[in-house]
Amino acid sequence: MKLNDLAEKLSLRNLTLEIQIKESTCVSKGHASDLLSDVLANAPGGSVLVTIQVHMNVIAVAIHAGVASVIFASGMVPDQAVIEKAISEGLPLYTSKESTFDIAGQLYELGLRGGHG
Amino acid sequence: MKRILADLHIHTALSPCASEEMIPQAIVRAAIRRGLEMIAICDHNTAGNTAAAEKAAGKDITVIAGMEITTAEDVHVLGLFPDVWVACTVSEKILKTLPEMQGSSKILGRQTLMNAEGQIIGMETKMLAASSAFRLSDSVNLIKRHRGIAVAAHLDRPSFSVISQLGMIPDDISFDAIEISGAAVASSRIQEFYSFGIPVLTSSDSHFLSDIGTCCTALEILEPTFNELVLALRGIAGRGCSVA
Repeated sequence: MKLNDLAEKLSLRNLTLEIQIKESTCVSKGHASDLLSDVLANAPGGSVLVTIQVHMNVIAVAIHAGVASVIFASGMVPDQAVIEKAISEGLPLYTSKESTFDIAGQLYELGLRGGHG
Repeated sequence: MKRILADLHIHTALSPCASEEMIPQAIVRAAIRRGLEMIAICDHNTAGNTAAAEKAAGKDITVIAGMEITTAEDVHVLGLFPDVWVACTVSEKILKTLPEMQGSSKILGRQTLMNAEGQIIGMETKMLAASSAFRLSDSVNLIKRHRGIAVAAHLDRPSFSVISQLGMIPDDISFDAIEISGAAVASSRIQEFYSFGIPVLTSSDSHFLSDIGTCCTALEILEPTFNELVLALRGIAGRGCSVA
């Protein structure tokens, strides 16, 4: 699924409007976790990460794990410094008022699967 | 210079997860029996029993007043302070940000405030097992502003450590030391922890009397005081620390 379409379907708020997302950017995997050690070890490459963890390390860990985009759940919004780091790394960030559970459920309905799915 | 043994992470019965047997007098007695000359009392998000432990110790053993802060990211950070008064000042700031217990102590455990004799003088009403509103960087800054030592707690453990929660030690955080468990000391992972270039401590993280001193740190210092501990961590004038 195209990342742009996914963001629109879930009514996500884009935190990194400065990033031009390529039309061809597609995602088929997802991962939900707040433990960045788990993200490093288990997030599938090219996946969407759903988390309430807003620490700066999210960006470095997501890049290292090859995560395509991060959705902050439950209305969490990271500091501006984190957003700027993501922009400089070209990592699109979104936020949603909905919970991790509900966001993951919607992503699943749209056809995304976890690492073992 | 002399070599002493220190166990710098011991809980009292105030921590909801610690045994009821962790009363100040009993902790001090167990520590002395195991050859320790310095201990730090570090309950979750509070320094409420440090005064009692210090009084129970008298001149027999040095008690450092500390606390184990749970940051907003669920990272455990130890703050070790120059004295009880400073520790309690920091503790008050942390406690203010915790939710109230609301009668759930049966599940989470009792939070017993004690005097030096081990008599119960009250129950902490804040939920000590919860995370504070202080983020990791704010917690470390808070500790340092109060002339405290900031230690990344049980860095080798799969829960509540900087590594487990944040994947790596953030660039903007300067810990005075990292703490690893006895299991990590015995494992081949030990070199991984030395590679951070920060002094490595090992402590028991005691929740039961039988845990006290099961692993500890050797300090090369002039006398068992907080100031000497600070100098040992900085390796000043022949002082130092090593896992024991």
